Amino acid sequence: MRNTGSSMRRAIVAAAALGAFLAASPSMAGSRILGTGAVSAIEGAAGGGLSPWAVLASTASDDEIGITASATRAWLDDYRLTVKGASINLYDRLEFSIARQTLELSTLGGELEQDIYGAKARLFGDVLYHPLGIWSAGVMHKRLVDGGVPTALGANDINGTDAYLSASKLLFNAFFGRNVLLNGTLRNTAANQGGLLGFGGDQGGRSWMAEGSLGVFVTPNWVVGTEYRQKPDNLSVAQEDDWQSIYSAYFFNKHVSVTGAWLDLGDIAGLPSQRGGYLSLQAAF
Amino acid sequence: MGRLKMTFKLTLRRKIIAGVLISTLLLTGCAQHNPHTTLYERMGGQPTIDAVVDNLLYRIADDDEVVVYFANSNIDLFAESLATQLCEISDGPCTYDGPPMDRAHQTMGITDAHFNRVVEYLDAAMQEEGVTLAARNDMLGRLAPLYEDVMRLR
Repeated sequence: MRNTGSSMRRAIVAAAALGAFLAASPSMAGSRILGTGAVSAIEGAAGGGLSPWAVLASTASDDEIGITASATRAWLDDYRLTVKGASINLYDRLEFSIARQTLELSTLGGELEQDIYGAKARLFGDVLYHPLGIWSAGVMHKRLVDGGVPTALGANDINGTDAYLSASKLLFNAFFGRNVLLNGTLRNTAANQGGLLGFGGDQGGRSWMAEGSLGVFVTPNWVVGTEYRQKPDNLSVAQEDDWQSIYSAYFFNKHVSVTGAWLDLGDIAGLPSQRGGYLSLQAAF
Repeated sequence: MGRLKMTFKLTLRRKIIAGVLISTLLLTGCAQHNPHTTLYERMGGQPTIDAVVDNLLYRIADDDEVVVYFANSNIDLFAESLATQLCEISDGPCTYDGPPMDRAHQTMGITDAHFNRVVEYLDAAMQEEGVTLAARNDMLGRLAPLYEDVMRLR
């Protein structure tokens, strides 16, 4: 636990230092408009926090490459989630991401860890300029570091792959003169609690899940909104609920953003009604 | 206790869903707020639009990568033409009679990076000339669909 804490601190310090360095060299910024790279979702892909969005990470456009690094922590009633992630955006066409999730079981003891390798391709469109917005398809390959607990709970597999289709669109001047960002994602998955409790179980396997979010850009730098993520319920001994959040993300510039959120993740591994705070820092160039 | 928590959670969830629904309704309702004033008026009329165009041109002049596209342009004519176009798009008393957007940007090799940069310059210019955030968002929203025309014959 001490290890995770200090490595998290190191990650935050590294991200902050990188951000400060990048903020001092604006020429390295991508050309896409501020905020259109979203923030880092907990599975590594560009998104809103709980759910991946169709936009690709950073502000790289058609002849640029962008890189992001992120550090995230969520404090729930009986758990603490830590995510370290990084991604690369190639020419606003392909995004590759990697994330290490650590769920500390504060009440039960122990921890669950998984690595997530993600790829996302922009199929067509643009979140600002195309009448249908931007559409992307992606995969996330998830590998549990130690499958002992998930297997004991009845999970069928300790590795799994999610596939998703996502669309995002900014509506200009849509809410009291402010721009509104809409996102919808359809995900095919067998992951229990995102994969931390393994894949599949006695109550089911792979299925389609819907995820959505709505955010209002109060200013060009500041978006507040809500997210909803439907979840499967594959394990009879550990009921699983849908996830939701209310979030606020602030883009200091194209290089540094901070996201705070309030989470309601429902029951997790037999412990009811997990709620709490969420903080995520992202550096991009 | 478990049931109590469950009830609370459901109520909370309903509140959030209700919140989202209400926002969506407001969103539809307010799309055309204040129908009696045009964007042209809310921006400050022709004096502001002319100032925004001048401000934009100074920003473009300072950008070596973008200014090359204007090497063969008559800047005075361009400024007048753009001001007329912004006036018409914002429902002002003008009629744009310049070339269509695809022909005006034909074979110039404009990239997304250049396009985005000019969008940022325009927004910064509007902000500096005192245009409100709501009016800026409205103007950018009306200009956004021009992307496809501008880039069609690039």
